[in-house]
Amino acid sequence: MQTALQLVMTGLQIGSVYMLFSLGLTLIFGVMKIVNFAHGQFFTLSAMLVAVLVPWLTTRGVSLPVAFGLGALAGIAVSIVVGLLLYQFGFRYFQRDLVGSFILSIGFALLFEGVFLHYFGGAVRAVPPIIDGDVSFFGVNLTAQRLALGLVALAFTLALYWVLSATRLGKAMRAVSIDHEAAMLQGIPYKKIVFNSFAIATFLGAVAGAIMAPISVITPTVGADYLVKGFIAVVIGGLGSVPGAIVGSLFIGFLESVGGYFFDPSSANMAIFVLAMLILLLRPKGVMGNG
Amino acid sequence: MDKRVLSQSGLAVVVAGIATLAVAPGYSANLVMWMAIAVLMAASLRFVLLIGELNFATAAFVGLGAYGAGVSTTILQWPFAVALLLSGVVAAAIGFVFGFVTLKTKGPYFLLIGFAFTEMVRLVYTKVQWLGGNSGMVGIFPPQYLEASYITFVVVLVGVLLIALYAIEQSHLGKCFVAIRDNDQVVQSVGVNVHLTKVACLCIGAFAAGIAGGLSAFVNNVISPGDFGFLLSTFALAYLKVGGEDSPLGPVAGAILLVLLGSVALGLGAGEHVFYGLAIILSVLLLPQGVVGLLSRLRPGRRSQAHVA
Repeated sequence: MQTALQLVMTGLQIGSVYMLFSLGLTLIFGVMKIVNFAHGQFFTLSAMLVAVLVPWLTTRGVSLPVAFGLGALAGIAVSIVVGLLLYQFGFRYFQRDLVGSFILSIGFALLFEGVFLHYFGGAVRAVPPIIDGDVSFFGVNLTAQRLALGLVALAFTLALYWVLSATRLGKAMRAVSIDHEAAMLQGIPYKKIVFNSFAIATFLGAVAGAIMAPISVITPTVGADYLVKGFIAVVIGGLGSVPGAIVGSLFIGFLESVGGYFFDPSSANMAIFVLAMLILLLRPKGVMGNG
Repeated sequence: MDKRVLSQSGLAVVVAGIATLAVAPGYSANLVMWMAIAVLMAASLRFVLLIGELNFATAAFVGLGAYGAGVSTTILQWPFAVALLLSGVVAAAIGFVFGFVTLKTKGPYFLLIGFAFTEMVRLVYTKVQWLGGNSGMVGIFPPQYLEASYITFVVVLVGVLLIALYAIEQSHLGKCFVAIRDNDQVVQSVGVNVHLTKVACLCIGAFAAGIAGGLSAFVNNVISPGDFGFLLSTFALAYLKVGGEDSPLGPVAGAILLVLLGSVALGLGAGEHVFYGLAIILSVLLLPQGVVGLLSRLRPGRRSQAHVA
């Protein structure tokens, strides 16, 4: 029982990061109908900047939590600027062109990976833990840091849900994702909505990178691992569906935690791929997809 | 396919084959063989694009072909011709199963599941001990009687396969593929089994990719799981995109250009990732029809010629 509870908690924690990551993917797909392979690079960029800035700031006498906060802010800000540049000079011309936008995003992903490898080197970096100590309840042990991470991811997910369901921008985004021409006929400023959606998606990816930095090792290719899982989560849930992305991410989180406990991580990965294919066989548009 | 195209392209293959006799063995010979294999990979990707699907599992099929050739040569000790044929057959057989399951989905779903499939197959190689695990397989050599002329063999075989792919594209079946891309419901309505036709297209593409993998195993003599990640599909995509996917000559032009420029760029110390990334971005933004499309636009009088041959 205790093991089961522990595995559930670990699964939730892993799933929460995938959730933040895949929400960005599904948002971009829903509004622009493009598959953005460069999304992982925003994650990497922000995690890398945190990993570089935190040691740099702490050696100059800034306390660790402040250094992390500054690093995360810088990482997220730079990622958003880069993301909007990619949008302005690339993706803007490839909306609703699945193959074209995918190829373009592959090009960006390769370019950024090369640039990251060149500037940050292949070395593995680690950020010291920001919050120390463990939290235990019902006999389940979690490091306080991982718990905080899960809570932050949950907070952002709830915030996105609120934006999508209650604000004018969110309603416009949903309208555009259902039928962009009908939305334009209603007077919804399509270009502005797409721009904002891309910015929000980039922001979510960058936040995921920044909060993951203290608990995982950071390499220039860290985003690629998350990209694969994030896309599988979105495909399982249904492209463009926000609840689908959440369900898919939690599913992958649980598989990783259970599979990693009883077998080993690469068996867990294979199980994820096989199950994803089985789910698509039964539901070719994902569990919650309809378009 | 009409006789003129057949004789012209056949002549081109013969000329290319004779030209390889002049290539000095060593690095330049390997470079030519890598080009030929890259051409075949890009042609396989383009072939599946006929039904409108971007087959990101191409790298997996190349890997299956390479491992098929590796196992039959080093473990089973089968002759070269059988090993090479097997590399295509293994890829096509697994392509059939993969396509049968996944071609029920389309567009982004098919693309992403192909991507996941590539990663899964790569993980399987690392887990299977008799396939060499993470370190892969070594000692895959072409037979002695082909040692000196292997480069000619590779170039001619790739040429023949390209002509065969083009012949299929021009056949009744090929017309069905394109019709499915344009509107699968119309094709369904005239009584064509759309699902099986799509699976057939994927199988043929997988066969070509498998042969490319088998040929590359004999060129490199060593294979390892890391060679067949999704990055390989990305490179194939870069060849296709730079060359232009509208013409069957696109993969040829793109692969030769990029492999050549890539080897120069690597010699100058630039990273492979940056080079291929920039090549893709620039060609997508500036040359939507690729190099071949650009050439045929510059010479409007000879447009028809660029589309055949």
